[in-house]
Amino acid sequence: MALGLRWSGSGAFFATEIRVQFHEWLAIVTGTLTPGALIVFVAILAADLLPVTLIGALVYSMFLIGQRVLNEAAYIRIDHKLNELYHASPLSPEGYFVGIAGGMLVAYLPPSLVVLGILELIHPLGLVAGLTLAVCLLAVWAVSSTIGYVVSTLFKDMKTIWPYSALLTNLFGILPPVFYPLSKVPIEWRSLVLIVPTSAAAILVNAAAGLEPVTRQEGTVAAVALAAEAVILFVFGIYWARRMARER
Amino acid sequence: MTEEALLARDVRKVYRSRKGPGVEALRGVSLSIRRGERVALLGRNGAGKTTFLRIASTLLIPTSGRIHAFGFDVVDEPERVRPLIAVVPQEGKPFFHLTPREQVYCYLRARGFARDTARARTEEALAKMGLEEVGDRLSVTLSGGQRQRAMVATVMATEAPLMFLDEPTIGLDPFARRAVWDMLRELTQKGSTVLLTTHYLDEAEALSERLYIVEEGRVLFEGTAENAKRQIGGTLRVSIEDGGHQRNLFEAFGQLVEEGNALYVITGPERIHEIMDVALRNRLSATVGPVTLEEAFLTIVGRSIDAE
Repeated sequence: MALGLRWSGSGAFFATEIRVQFHEWLAIVTGTLTPGALIVFVAILAADLLPVTLIGALVYSMFLIGQRVLNEAAYIRIDHKLNELYHASPLSPEGYFVGIAGGMLVAYLPPSLVVLGILELIHPLGLVAGLTLAVCLLAVWAVSSTIGYVVSTLFKDMKTIWPYSALLTNLFGILPPVFYPLSKVPIEWRSLVLIVPTSAAAILVNAAAGLEPVTRQEGTVAAVALAAEAVILFVFGIYWARRMARER
Repeated sequence: MTEEALLARDVRKVYRSRKGPGVEALRGVSLSIRRGERVALLGRNGAGKTTFLRIASTLLIPTSGRIHAFGFDVVDEPERVRPLIAVVPQEGKPFFHLTPREQVYCYLRARGFARDTARARTEEALAKMGLEEVGDRLSVTLSGGQRQRAMVATVMATEAPLMFLDEPTIGLDPFARRAVWDMLRELTQKGSTVLLTTHYLDEAEALSERLYIVEEGRVLFEGTAENAKRQIGGTLRVSIEDGGHQRNLFEAFGQLVEEGNALYVITGPERIHEIMDVALRNRLSATVGPVTLEEAFLTIVGRSIDAE
């Protein structure tokens, strides 16, 4: 038990979530449609931007995993009341939150590995770029999972939640420079997109992969913002999970 | 640990509302349940049963009052209470994309049971709930009753020291209800304590050793079903069709309980002939039977358990 965290049973719950998701393999496959379509368009219209788009697809997919946390957590709470089954048990609230988030990560990872394979074929990443990619994707997952989990607890009806899921995905995944390079963003908007977690991750990986250089200042802002957002939000997610394990 | 599995003192709950006054769901509920007891909370919809159950199971914070489970405060020490309890939530459903076998097994594993124990208990629970044949089908393909049985099996397999079941037999056919009752009896014989909510009077009577009748957030009666029936002042019930309009004819014969157009006279065997005579002379249809928990409930609460 570190920092008061209790993880008893979380491994088994994590495995439960993976099992649930693998029974829904079609959802895993269809999750690749949007990034897949964008990759095809870019390959046809601007093949030189394909590596940037592939990295964008990885970041987007990772953000999408977090949004699946939103839908799953809301679904099992509102529709199935399974949160009550698990909260009134030795499984800790943080174990429940991380179990859902981790289960989604593992279950939805295979399509991203395919994209990573394609990226390796057309633009092999070096060690630094590979590590940067891994760390940035993990940070995006932490941010997105927390946002998803927190939003899932705020509503009492699934239909109310769906638009938020779509809104978040587009706001973080499509609008900022995730699928396209930072240089396409008007100069006055750049400082903003550097602190958006998804675009910050894409910008850092693109720079590490030598696809689009950024200034030292831009790189620092993006890295600090992404790291801070990931840590702060994930800690908040754990706090929120504990708080929401009991209604007031 | 204390002798009581659950001890509640003056529990109140007000659901705050941003618009208008809050809703007072519990208005000072006190109860105690000994280890190994089966106790029912009986009440109409909205009486406060689920609110109490959710507070007792650490899922909801009360506005005031205290509840201890095995001596641990459910508000201040939830992490000590949770390993000792298990809950069947009202209208809960299993994971649709797990089979009942996976559902039970995975839940036991998440509660910390070793693989072999979890496997053995899963098979036992599925067998007891009659789910062996559908044990490997995804729950999404099961009927509502089968899903409910899977939920009950999931919780019962834990054999937790204290189990809360919120309307556990809703949607079950009579055979499945009996299976749940049998399993609950077996669990209490093994030492578990059971608190269930129900609005099925027959279930409360058949299953619980004691019951609490709850209405508008208050406990109106505590005791056995037999005590409840005795309390209403007679052992026989004369049901008079359309008798509600002619109350005055029967007032002298015993306690009167009205439900819709029907009138029930709760009385002793010595007055039956007189009552039937009055009913026949006034061309009213009347039948005699033993007092049931239904009349007791009507008398204690003043309304039928099905009244909205």
